[in-house]
Amino acid sequence: MENRITSPGGTPAFAVEGEFTIFSAAALKPEIVAAVRNAAGQAVEIDLAQVSEIDSAGLQLMALAKREAAAAGRDLSFVRPSAAVLDVLALCDLASFFDVPASSDNGDPRPAQRDPS
Amino acid sequence: MAKTILIVDDSASLRQVVSIALKGAGYDVIEACDGKDALTKLDGRKIHLIISDVNMPNMDGIAFLKAARQLAAYKFTPVVMLTTEASADKKAEGQAAGARAWVVKPFQPAQMLAAVSKLIQP
Amino acid sequence: MNLDEALKTFVIESRELLEGMEDALLRIEQSPGDADLINAVFRAAHTIKGSAGLFGLDPVVEFTHNAENVLARARAGELPINAEFVALFLEVCDHMRTLVDRVANGGDFDVEVSDRSHELVVRLQAFSPAGIPAEQKPMLPSSSPDVVAETADEASTETGDWHISLRFGRSVLKNGMDPLAFLRYLTTFGTIVRIVTLFDDLPETDAFDAEECYLGFEISYRTDADKAAIEGAFEFVRDDAQIRILPPHSKISEYVDFIQSMSPDEIKLGEILIRCGTLTQNELDTALRTQAEEEAAGEAHHPIGEVLVAQRTVSPAVVDAALQKQKALKENRGGDSSMIRVNADKLDEHINLIGELIIASAGIDLSAIKSGIPELLEAASVMKRLVENVRDSALQLRMVQIGATFNKFQRVVRDVSKEIGKEIRLEISGAETELDKTVIEKISDPLTHLVRNSMDHGIESADVRLARGKPAYGTLRLNAYHDSGSIVIEVSDDGGGLNRERILAKAIERGLVKPDELPSDDDVYNLIFEPGFSTAEQINNLSGRGVGMDVVRRNIKDLRGSIDIETTAGQGSTMRIRLPLTLAIIDGFLVGVGNSSFIVPLEMVVECVELTQEEVDASHGRQHLNLRGEVLPFIRLKELFDLPDVPPPAENEDDDDDFGLGNADGTRDEGTSTANARYEVDEELAFLLQPVKRENVVVVTYAGKRAGLVVDELLGEHQTVIRPLGAVFNGMEGISGFTILGTGRVALILDVPGLVRRVASDDVRKNRAPSTHRG
Repeated sequence: MENRITSPGGTPAFAVEGEFTIFSAAALKPEIVAAVRNAAGQAVEIDLAQVSEIDSAGLQLMALAKREAAAAGRDLSFVRPSAAVLDVLALCDLASFFDVPASSDNGDPRPAQRDPS
Repeated sequence: MAKTILIVDDSASLRQVVSIALKGAGYDVIEACDGKDALTKLDGRKIHLIISDVNMPNMDGIAFLKAARQLAAYKFTPVVMLTTEASADKKAEGQAAGARAWVVKPFQPAQMLAAVSKLIQP
Repeated sequence: MNLDEALKTFVIESRELLEGMEDALLRIEQSPGDADLINAVFRAAHTIKGSAGLFGLDPVVEFTHNAENVLARARAGELPINAEFVALFLEVCDHMRTLVDRVANGGDFDVEVSDRSHELVVRLQAFSPAGIPAEQKPMLPSSSPDVVAETADEASTETGDWHISLRFGRSVLKNGMDPLAFLRYLTTFGTIVRIVTLFDDLPETDAFDAEECYLGFEISYRTDADKAAIEGAFEFVRDDAQIRILPPHSKISEYVDFIQSMSPDEIKLGEILIRCGTLTQNELDTALRTQAEEEAAGEAHHPIGEVLVAQRTVSPAVVDAALQKQKALKENRGGDSSMIRVNADKLDEHINLIGELIIASAGIDLSAIKSGIPELLEAASVMKRLVENVRDSALQLRMVQIGATFNKFQRVVRDVSKEIGKEIRLEISGAETELDKTVIEKISDPLTHLVRNSMDHGIESADVRLARGKPAYGTLRLNAYHDSGSIVIEVSDDGGGLNRERILAKAIERGLVKPDELPSDDDVYNLIFEPGFSTAEQINNLSGRGVGMDVVRRNIKDLRGSIDIETTAGQGSTMRIRLPLTLAIIDGFLVGVGNSSFIVPLEMVVECVELTQEEVDASHGRQHLNLRGEVLPFIRLKELFDLPDVPPPAENEDDDDDFGLGNADGTRDEGTSTANARYEVDEELAFLLQPVKRENVVVVTYAGKRAGLVVDELLGEHQTVIRPLGAVFNGMEGISGFTILGTGRVALILDVPGLVRRVASDDVRKNRAPSTHRG
């Protein structure tokens, strides 16, 4: 569960990798908040391609990020959600809330990974 | 990759039956015979759920749960405690230690599977 | 691994647990305050019940459940742990053993068994009259309100779906529970028609604790399952979440209550319900209107929780009251986590293979010596040492402590003393003494007989004891210790001791002793081991039962052991059993007599001396030797086994070659430290003596007595794999087995105990030599 800031394709992005769960939530929260607040441009992307597992704690952080972006007047998008993420969004009927396409096939060359470990 | 469950009980036959049931449902299973043994299995590997008896020699389930919660990798791991109706006191201790899921002994394998699948899915 | 194997495991572990249970019960009477003991008893029942349930062994579960309930109360200090308690639970323990036996035999629980179960359950319940202890009711919730079936006179909602409203508590995630997992579980027996995820409770960013849960869900759910099943999904968060489950077609007033209970912002919740499809707009309007009317009428809101919500928490007060701090985390039989269970057959096979390995290794050793290649000699010597180590560790695997066997006698002593009306206490020492598992298994029956014999015949009745100035209660002692390669097991009592006169009289009456004979004390006492000998004035149902002391002695002899008696009139007797530590492999000392080879168990060899012609002359045919001033009786093996006096020269040379070389392995400077000192001497002697062909005396000792064995050659140490004698040779005097040498030849193993007894008893009779250990 390694999470680090990466900048693929020029858009300021934060990538969540591995577990997006209670085990990583406390560490991820300040990073995500910072990524949203400190983004250089208008658009902020959070890359979820490498999320192996997501639980309620991860879901809450997505909601927090979305609210934070709204407060900062930025356009946040969650990109390349992994299968685990899509599964949870479908379960909670939140795909449209987070403006995430219902399928992981969003032109991403990298396939979503369920479990990189 | 299948999710991993650690089963801790001093009864080898109970472990075996539960293990058969869980493996049949698609989980990987690790066994330990008491709390002390179980702690040695908590070596950093990902364990998605712990099933632990309360009353065991060497280190009982409550002490084991407390110790496991001190380890970052198992701080929030779901735990199913096995208990009897008669051990209300132990249940209180377990709740204080953060255990919420209880399965009353004796149970059928199907009951255990149901309890597990409320907490994690294979 | 399959279920059958698991069931076998169940039987094995249950028997072990019951053994532990019995052990704890027997000790608990002496120390009723010992929390470890009652906890051990409780846990045995608890574990067996738990495992039996998994196998669907209802008769076991049901019976054990009753026992466990009483034990739980006893453990909580609510019931006295007294003699009655122990007696009852010993019976319970026995019956559980019966139940487990039935399981082992295919699960045939007949009327006899169930009647016995019933009888004991009645007594258990009578013992614990106040009923079950503060008990958690099984998890199934009480039946839900009657709203479903009833056709309401009041307006019902249209929807055929359930409505589930969830507000998770802050701590659920920390407690290892993921709300999403519960939702997934719901999808296993129904369909989430609509779901609204609520993030409304998310706090301000700074206050947001990522490890706390702020989620809520409103769910419209379609299922054929009943309310209990839906509630069951949230069983583990019942205490940590607000859960509302509204059945299909619930009354609007119930939604009113629901809305009121849930949120300060009713209208918003109402809208959510509409979004969920649970309520139509019309229904919501009705609900809000009803609420307004109620408020206007000043009616209090209905208490909702218990009607709609399944919240069966244990009241903290009850819990506190029941709370009994249990310290004992550790159990006296600790360390079992590092144990593995191995099938005894596998172990035996392993030992047998090592036996073969030893023989093969001896062959290689011999060939290496013959070849004279230094590298090969070196390699063979290293291998031989390793094989010895392997042998020792393999034999060690089979060593078990005798304590478990001793502890079984707690029960025997307890039962028998009640039966015969004597108060007898059992003291155990040396429980940690180890011996071969095979030996332990075979010694249990003889030991039982000795214990019963001592209780019955040894220990006097209380009146007699008091008259003799002894405590009214008798004491029986079981003791074990290691002594020069043997294990000694003693059964002692503080009773009246053996009565020499009565035994002698009886023996004369039975024709075992001629009236004019004057046998030694030892001989008299040993008479009780003669077939059909019994001096008990009254034969009760214990001693009169089949097995006699003669069988005891025979069983012990079969184990290459011996039994002796030490007794003091009025003060008690000690039956002392000596057994070899292991039955499989021994360190032997190889000797040559004429053409034949014999093995003397090395642990019984004291030293080897030369038998000079002067000494032979001095003995005047009396078969005695003056060993540094002490009289040493000896036996000429050549005479004993009727061997040809002078071996054929060619054969002899051959032998010399073989065994002389075999002897040369003694030049190794390590590995045989136990015998090194003696060995050096032997070797010198052997070299000195071989060309001259003078006789040698191997001085052996057994049970404190010494004897000399006269042989031609001393051929050195030999690892001896004991093979039992076939039926033809069984009972052959002086021989206890045979082994195969590296050369493929056979060597007979000398029965040193038998030989020593033979000459030493002569010795005692003729010389009155002091014998410190009469055992």
